[in-house]
Amino acid sequence: MVKRIAKRTVAILLSAIILAGSTGCGHSTLSENKNGNQDRPVVVNLEGGDWGYPTPFSHYARGPGLYKMTLIFDSLLERGEEGYIPWLAEDWDISEDGLTYTFTLRENVKWQDGQPMTAEDVKFSFEYFAEYPPVFSDLTVDGKHFIQSVETVDEKTVKLKVEKPLAILLGKIGSTRIIPKHIWEKVEDPQKFNTPEAVIGTGPYVLKDYIKEQGAYQFEAFKDFWGPKQRVEILQFVPVSDSILAFDNGEIDLTRITTDILSKYQSNEEYKVLRNPAFWGYRLLFNMERRTEFKDKKIRQAFAHAIDKDELVEKIAREAAIPANAGYLPVGHIWHNAHAKNYGFDIERAKQLLDGEEFSFKLLTGNSNNEVRIAELLKISLAKAGITLSITSTDFKTRDAAVKRGDYEIVLNGHGGWGRDADILRTMYLTEKTSNRSPAVGGIPGYDNDRINVLCRQQLFEIDAAKRKEIIFELQELIAEEIPQIPLYNTTGYIVFRPAAFDGWKYMFDHHGVTHNKLSYLDVRQ
Amino acid sequence: MKYVKQGMKNIKGFTLMGKTGMAVVCVVLFLGIFSDRLSVHPYNLPSGSAFEAPGPVHWLGTDDLGIDLWAQICFGARVSMIIGFGTALLAGIGGSLIGICSGYFGGLIDKIVMRVTDIIIVLPDLPTMIVLGAFFGPGIRNIIIVLALFSWTVPARIVRSKILSVKEEKYVVAAKNYGAKFWHLTIRHFLPNILPVVMVSVIRLFSKAIVAEAGLAFLGLGDPTSKSWGLILNHAVNFRGIYFTDYWKWWIVGPSAAIMLLVTAIAFICRDVEKIVNSKI
Repeated sequence: MVKRIAKRTVAILLSAIILAGSTGCGHSTLSENKNGNQDRPVVVNLEGGDWGYPTPFSHYARGPGLYKMTLIFDSLLERGEEGYIPWLAEDWDISEDGLTYTFTLRENVKWQDGQPMTAEDVKFSFEYFAEYPPVFSDLTVDGKHFIQSVETVDEKTVKLKVEKPLAILLGKIGSTRIIPKHIWEKVEDPQKFNTPEAVIGTGPYVLKDYIKEQGAYQFEAFKDFWGPKQRVEILQFVPVSDSILAFDNGEIDLTRITTDILSKYQSNEEYKVLRNPAFWGYRLLFNMERRTEFKDKKIRQAFAHAIDKDELVEKIAREAAIPANAGYLPVGHIWHNAHAKNYGFDIERAKQLLDGEEFSFKLLTGNSNNEVRIAELLKISLAKAGITLSITSTDFKTRDAAVKRGDYEIVLNGHGGWGRDADILRTMYLTEKTSNRSPAVGGIPGYDNDRINVLCRQQLFEIDAAKRKEIIFELQELIAEEIPQIPLYNTTGYIVFRPAAFDGWKYMFDHHGVTHNKLSYLDVRQ
Repeated sequence: MKYVKQGMKNIKGFTLMGKTGMAVVCVVLFLGIFSDRLSVHPYNLPSGSAFEAPGPVHWLGTDDLGIDLWAQICFGARVSMIIGFGTALLAGIGGSLIGICSGYFGGLIDKIVMRVTDIIIVLPDLPTMIVLGAFFGPGIRNIIIVLALFSWTVPARIVRSKILSVKEEKYVVAAKNYGAKFWHLTIRHFLPNILPVVMVSVIRLFSKAIVAEAGLAFLGLGDPTSKSWGLILNHAVNFRGIYFTDYWKWWIVGPSAAIMLLVTAIAFICRDVEKIVNSKI
């Protein structure tokens, strides 16, 4: 018996040594790839995580899922550093009445299975999405499909007719993914379609491997890609336990860092540090259907006064954030209204607004450290004003689902997209149904304000940019006064990478993350 | 009273290690009971700026929210002690009772009880506890129940085998023939026999429960705002890049040391108790 145990122990030890040895080898080949021979392919490794199968229908409804899908699927336009740039469409034209959009397609664009892409595919994609809405970028506005008809004029020209001229259409149409007709025309349940055929697009990268359990993805450059040459040949999302440690060990090529360790990287020539624009943030949503007390503006304002945003920025974000605005659009947004009301931290004022009454609510948060710590600080400071919070934390996917279902009293939600077109105000404050599955989109349960609804619709139909800006400014002032939800802070986190390994990182004009930007990996001169 | 006297005598028989262990456990118990008075600062409110290094004001420094760590560790001692005692008593008493019944009555009851213990012993307890913890939700009471559910089998089995042999002793058979009933036999004859062996497994359970709670909290399955040692550690290690800063020196070391100290102390006590019990058998 003892002998057998001894034998087993030896066997286990030996296999552990072999395993350790083999992983060691893995690292050395990777680092050779990057720093050694110039002819070797450029490999970029990033932090993994399961964000679903990257088709327009089955990726997870958050940024990391969406932007993996966009590596494979192109759209007519792409988001560049300054604004929309021509992509599958070489040129476009909007008729004077704003009702006809004509796109001239690029020639010699091939699907990843070798078939040529034609105007038929574009027409098919819009019609297919009208029937089966994708995870993001739905083609509805105000509950209705805005595209009346799609016509193919010739092989490379597509004409879209819309019902009404809307300010946001170019962006909406331009960012709709184009899918191959010869594959998808047979598919009747796109959410369950996850064969290798489902990830054939015209984009710069081909999905080589996806391991759901590990959250690992491998993308390889598509040889017959029509556009700019790929600077990164192999892009991998690998599982890591602690991303900063993994970055330090060279397992991944880019990571987020906190201000506490900023100096370690800023003072070293080997690294380059970038500061993200403040287009990612946390907000606190009230469910006014569940707790009708929230319909009272005073209670919401009391919340706003009782929360110390500066403390959150200092302690949770470690100063790498800016306090968010009551009017929602962050300071860096092109249409941010600096004159909208803001609520200073003032417990006395909060008590006055509550009129001595005491309340208790349930707060739902994700279980990441930041979210739990924010919840704890909120609990402490709201208690001073007479509001008791009891906190439940779940994993973020459960939380996201609860947000979409409206299954909460108060929820803490963090997401990106705060820098996008000001129409985000409509998707958030106007009560309407949407097929968009993102937890960042959708109204506030039970909230309905006539003036806000009117302004949200007005800005949508206003083509004149200057006039639209005025409406958006008024809307922000109204939202700030009404405060139907409380934006907490917008992160301006730092990222660090080794320029010697890869230095193509770029931002999109309205987005917070460089790794989400397809153009980061391509040789684009703008 | 007789048992207490006996116990005191036994403690005198402890080795130096055992006595040290006893002292440490008493100190932690003291910390737990008087946690509010032992610390100048509150355990649940910020009392300084974030990440103050240990010093005269904050003995063990502060965490990311600026909450005093010494206060949190004192309060954590209370959580650990409640969970340790709660689980050990619940599982110890429950398990022993089940074991006595099973051993004494035998037959179908015995078969059912033993098969159930088999199943629970086979189930890997940490994964199941994680699932149950996630299912029932966080909270000290739920954690005690979940831990007890998985720990009663050990005392139950030991007690059952002990009862099987004691049942055959001549004085027990004689008492039975004079008409002694189950409860009389249990209190008069069974308890004194099983108490030492139950003691050992209860002490083991005690430390297992403390570690399990710390583990569950560390994995984020505890109550997110309670201040148990595991949860302090959970917040500390999940702080981005903690190992590249100086903060780990007090934020991680403090609670880890507390857990290690307590568990080691209990292990020493357990070893001594086992020695004394074995020499008696």
